[in-house]
Amino acid sequence: MTDKKVKIGPFETICYTGARALEDKTIVFAGTGLPMLACLFAQRTWAPDMNIIFEAGSLGVQMWMGLPLSVGDTRASTRACIIKGLCFAFESQQRGYSDFGFIGGAEIDKYGNINSTCFGEYEKPKVRFPGSGGAGAMAANSDRIIAIMALEKRRFRDKVYFITSLGFGDGSPDYRWTAGVHGRGPYRVVTDVALFGYDVGNTNRMMLLEYHPDLSVEAIQERCELELLISPDVKPMPLPSEEDLNLMITQVDPEAYFLGKTVA
Amino acid sequence: MDLEKRYAEVGVPLGKKADEDKLPYVHVVEGQVPYTSKHRAPGVEVTDPGDAIHSGIYGISEVVHKERPYTWWGPNPDEARALKVKENKFLYDKRTTLSDAVKKFIRPGINIGVAGFVNTRNPFAICWQIVKEALCNKTVQATNLTLSYQSQSLDVEWLLGAQMLDSSRVEVKRVELSWQAFEVIGSGPIWTHMVQAGLIEVDDYTNYGASARFKAGAMGIPFMPVRDHGGSDMERVNRGVMLKCPFTGRNIYVLPACHPDVAIAHVTAADMYGNCRIFGFLNTCPEIVGASTASIVTCEDLISTDEIRRYPNLTEIPFPAVSAVVPQKFGGYPGAVWGNYWFDMDHFREWRAAGLELRLKGNIDPLKKYYDDNFYSCDTFDDFLAKRGYKKLAELKRLDMGQAVII
Repeated sequence: MTDKKVKIGPFETICYTGARALEDKTIVFAGTGLPMLACLFAQRTWAPDMNIIFEAGSLGVQMWMGLPLSVGDTRASTRACIIKGLCFAFESQQRGYSDFGFIGGAEIDKYGNINSTCFGEYEKPKVRFPGSGGAGAMAANSDRIIAIMALEKRRFRDKVYFITSLGFGDGSPDYRWTAGVHGRGPYRVVTDVALFGYDVGNTNRMMLLEYHPDLSVEAIQERCELELLISPDVKPMPLPSEEDLNLMITQVDPEAYFLGKTVA
Repeated sequence: MDLEKRYAEVGVPLGKKADEDKLPYVHVVEGQVPYTSKHRAPGVEVTDPGDAIHSGIYGISEVVHKERPYTWWGPNPDEARALKVKENKFLYDKRTTLSDAVKKFIRPGINIGVAGFVNTRNPFAICWQIVKEALCNKTVQATNLTLSYQSQSLDVEWLLGAQMLDSSRVEVKRVELSWQAFEVIGSGPIWTHMVQAGLIEVDDYTNYGASARFKAGAMGIPFMPVRDHGGSDMERVNRGVMLKCPFTGRNIYVLPACHPDVAIAHVTAADMYGNCRIFGFLNTCPEIVGASTASIVTCEDLISTDEIRRYPNLTEIPFPAVSAVVPQKFGGYPGAVWGNYWFDMDHFREWRAAGLELRLKGNIDPLKKYYDDNFYSCDTFDDFLAKRGYKKLAELKRLDMGQAVII
């Protein structure tokens, strides 16, 4: 163990809260970056029997080389039970292997629809992002979707510019069925200062479940353009302990690609 | 068996396709197929697609886009099949050099299928040679290109950067893709710049969608039904369409097959006939090469056909799919190749810094310097590797930590 101390910054909270959203003995289809961070931490703590699919084609990876820096990284395939290609990975989630899809994005709306494509006109966008990657397919066909991003007003919007990863669509109960996708849809949104769920089966709108103990319910709403539902059981979110932080910096992200950084 | 003698008997020169000069050349504009669906009226913004089958996506987001007429960006499935039927199918020596392969296969107007994924087993050596021949040596014209892939990073950016320097030599007009960036390092600066400036026509899919399109191509079928895209704005903007499943009655999204004119791929090992082994992620390499009408494959190691025949289950790409084989050590550098080396993050960062100077400040000088250092002043890809130096390459080999391969 090291003496190196990490203070509880946004990425430490995201890592911890993201991991808490996961369950042991399940299969998670994990995207690049923050989802990997949270999955690795979950595996090293309360979800040792949780397995991961990476979209380049691996299942059951043991990430002994450290945090992968991309989903196609050699580190995302070491000691896997099977390595094939992208078709294998995505077809197994179409088939129903993946309990959770774990994705990021630039913007999210009140029904959990996520944009990772562009702002402005599609043909000549004001801002162009890298594109769907695996996220669109994960949002469609993993059983439940966990989104992970920093909480900023410009990201939590009433309507997004472009829907790359489908949430509940227009919120109507049969939207996803008509869209021809498999998964049940949005489940959690993990951020640095709040954890959201959804009013599933009713309005399908985003709902505040937990807020950072330094903030209040009102302060969280203040940071969102979209109008939140508030869970009747809303409570302050637990923060990682000293031991958790040590584990993060020694075993999850020792090269500090995320930990210790601030939200841009 | 004396293969050369046998080839002479059947009258086919070694390493040459029989009908090479007669192959019909498919151009993107000539390949157009008129499409009659109501929500594909070209050039207009469709807010209500009428009675076309769709998910109800219209109006949920703020997206603004123009409908495009349907075109095949490369050979259509029937043309691709006809081209493959015409090819020689026997085992002939396909070894060549990077330079000869690029000069033979790269022409204006083609669709290049780029294998590899993000920073893993990308065809870097081939992309390097395309830039070298087109931009520096001016031996080929790599203009009016379509690029097709799922997710790519620096290899594609090399081509786009060359376009920034001289668009009369290298010019990418269309990209059908899922994703373009550098993962934790950040966005792809040149691609972002070109899309935001409206210089490239893009067609967006998910990583599975892009892969499934190549898979359909490799399977010899015109489309692939998939359970994604539907309900998202990709349903509106890309070239797939929603159908009603004839068996379940439920909506299902279908994507057109993608047949690149030329696939470029880097594999772990291959024999001289093009039988390829891949270790680590397969990515979509077998499908992309399988869907293409011609392909250039570089390999870390050239292995004997005896070895291929000993473990035929390990062959991921069979010889009829491959047109040219180039043994090239570190052919996937600066990307990673499982069992050989990890990726060179410093080099990715160096490129991104040069690209961002252009995108954010309009300063092209760092990009010019990058091409001077890494292309103009190197005669071959090996010279480019030599510039990175033994120590760097040895370090990357160590970082791979000796993943298992069977060659």
